Amino acid sequence: MKTITLNHITKIEGHAKLDLGIKEGVVEKCELSATEGSRYFEGLVIGRKYFEAHEITSRICGICSTAHVTAALMAIEDAVGVKPSTQTVELRKLIMLGERIRSHATHLYFLALPDYLGYESALAMAKKYKNELKTALSLVKAGNKVITLIAARDLHPVSATVGGWLKLPEQETLETLKETLKEVKEDAWKTFKLFSSLNYPEFESKCEYFSLKDNDEYAMLNGVFSSETESFNKNDYKKFISEYHESRSTANFVVKDGKRYMVGALPRLNNNREKLSVDAKKALKESKMKLPSKNPYLNNLAQAIELIHCLDHAIKICSELKIKEEKIPEIKVKPGRGVAAIEVPRGTLWHEYEVDEKGIIKYANIITPTAQNLLNMQEDIRLMVPGILDKPKQEIILEMEKLIRSYDPCFSCSAHFLEVNWL
Amino acid sequence: MKKLFVFGNEYLENDKYAHEVINHLENVEITKCRSPEDLLEEEGSILILDVVKSLEEPVLIEDLSVLKDRKMVSLHDFDLNFFLKLLKEIGLEKDIKIIGIPEKGNPKATAEIIKKWI
Repeated sequence: MKTITLNHITKIEGHAKLDLGIKEGVVEKCELSATEGSRYFEGLVIGRKYFEAHEITSRICGICSTAHVTAALMAIEDAVGVKPSTQTVELRKLIMLGERIRSHATHLYFLALPDYLGYESALAMAKKYKNELKTALSLVKAGNKVITLIAARDLHPVSATVGGWLKLPEQETLETLKETLKEVKEDAWKTFKLFSSLNYPEFESKCEYFSLKDNDEYAMLNGVFSSETESFNKNDYKKFISEYHESRSTANFVVKDGKRYMVGALPRLNNNREKLSVDAKKALKESKMKLPSKNPYLNNLAQAIELIHCLDHAIKICSELKIKEEKIPEIKVKPGRGVAAIEVPRGTLWHEYEVDEKGIIKYANIITPTAQNLLNMQEDIRLMVPGILDKPKQEIILEMEKLIRSYDPCFSCSAHFLEVNWL
Repeated sequence: MKKLFVFGNEYLENDKYAHEVINHLENVEITKCRSPEDLLEEEGSILILDVVKSLEEPVLIEDLSVLKDRKMVSLHDFDLNFFLKLLKEIGLEKDIKIIGIPEKGNPKATAEIIKKWI
């Protein structure tokens, strides 16, 4: 039996390992597992006060700390019965948009693009592709600026709290951000043009795709968890989504009614394309991408289209939101359970907490986008590999990594990413 | 006033020394950096203070090629070295220097030594 062990799947967040066993052109073993040390964040918040969950879970990941802060705050508010103001929600959306701009730009240029241009790393392509990397950095910088000016820090933001904001931005800050975001809009277009010019492999994942779907806007913080054919409310997630553990992996696998599914920019685009901004719709049309799509490679193109949408949405918030003084509401803690499902750069993120009458956290459950995509990545590789077995070993590895990277996985967050063992 | 960008984790025993040394520096605009991305806001020359593993005496590093590359596995590995070389390659920064200091020592004495480079 020809065996492959990919011990470090590179250019992804965190670490993972892939064990492949192939006999006479048939894949007999294909096991993808996360190999980072267990993170125990769900255990770390047990016994802590309700207002500490967002600060602790933010540390799950530096790349998407804003996402964890926001999800934790929303789940805790749901548990203790606090309804945030419209202003609070709009400012949360703004920092989430900032984070998505930063994350997509970083993933697209520093991790995905070298694959398509045939370079080992972004640094290796820097001499020839100076302008492209400058474009990336200007988008990253703009995303960082949004989070810093609204939430006080670009990583692990500190001013968002249960019920509101410890410090509100000045109206002028929104004006400044609006100008910054307008300045980089051209960079988002350049990114879209670049990624729509790449040749993506033809491939169809045999999966369902899921994302939040919101009747009011391109889903971010609200909506029902939906695929093309079904949907369910966030509070019922445990009836549909289940996690299971494989001893080889430090991250859980997640299935929906026992079957694999995909989350991320492509499922979001499939479900919410009617809610894209005018310019993002133009880009989608220009891309000639046929939706709904189940080709995970097109997740990169979907991210590029989302960049345009995110900038438009952020500019809209900065233009329309009139900052008014708001006090954080007095919180009378009551025991309860709260669930948040929000759309973050890599897909749908779930946080759930149970709090007692003293505001102590008694239970926590966090399901990250990468954990939800883990089984789908594994089964996609199983499907894809037989078609490329005639290629040299290094090329096979590159193709497998490329497929996995198209999901933009974050194995640090999945509470864990890739090594390949040719068994 | 000269700007100095300070790196290192204040809470880690073997990474916090630069933060102790800056307490003994005067007439310098100190920026504590939490991520290499903090340098994106800067234009022109950049002077960095950071701990260098296995160093016995402070050194001024002017040639970034002496910095050791490590395998980039994920965005979490985008370290200062990667970021500085990237900025240099794409021509965003003209002049980058690093004052490297040991992991431990007498902060006041170290501050005295490195003053000449600031």
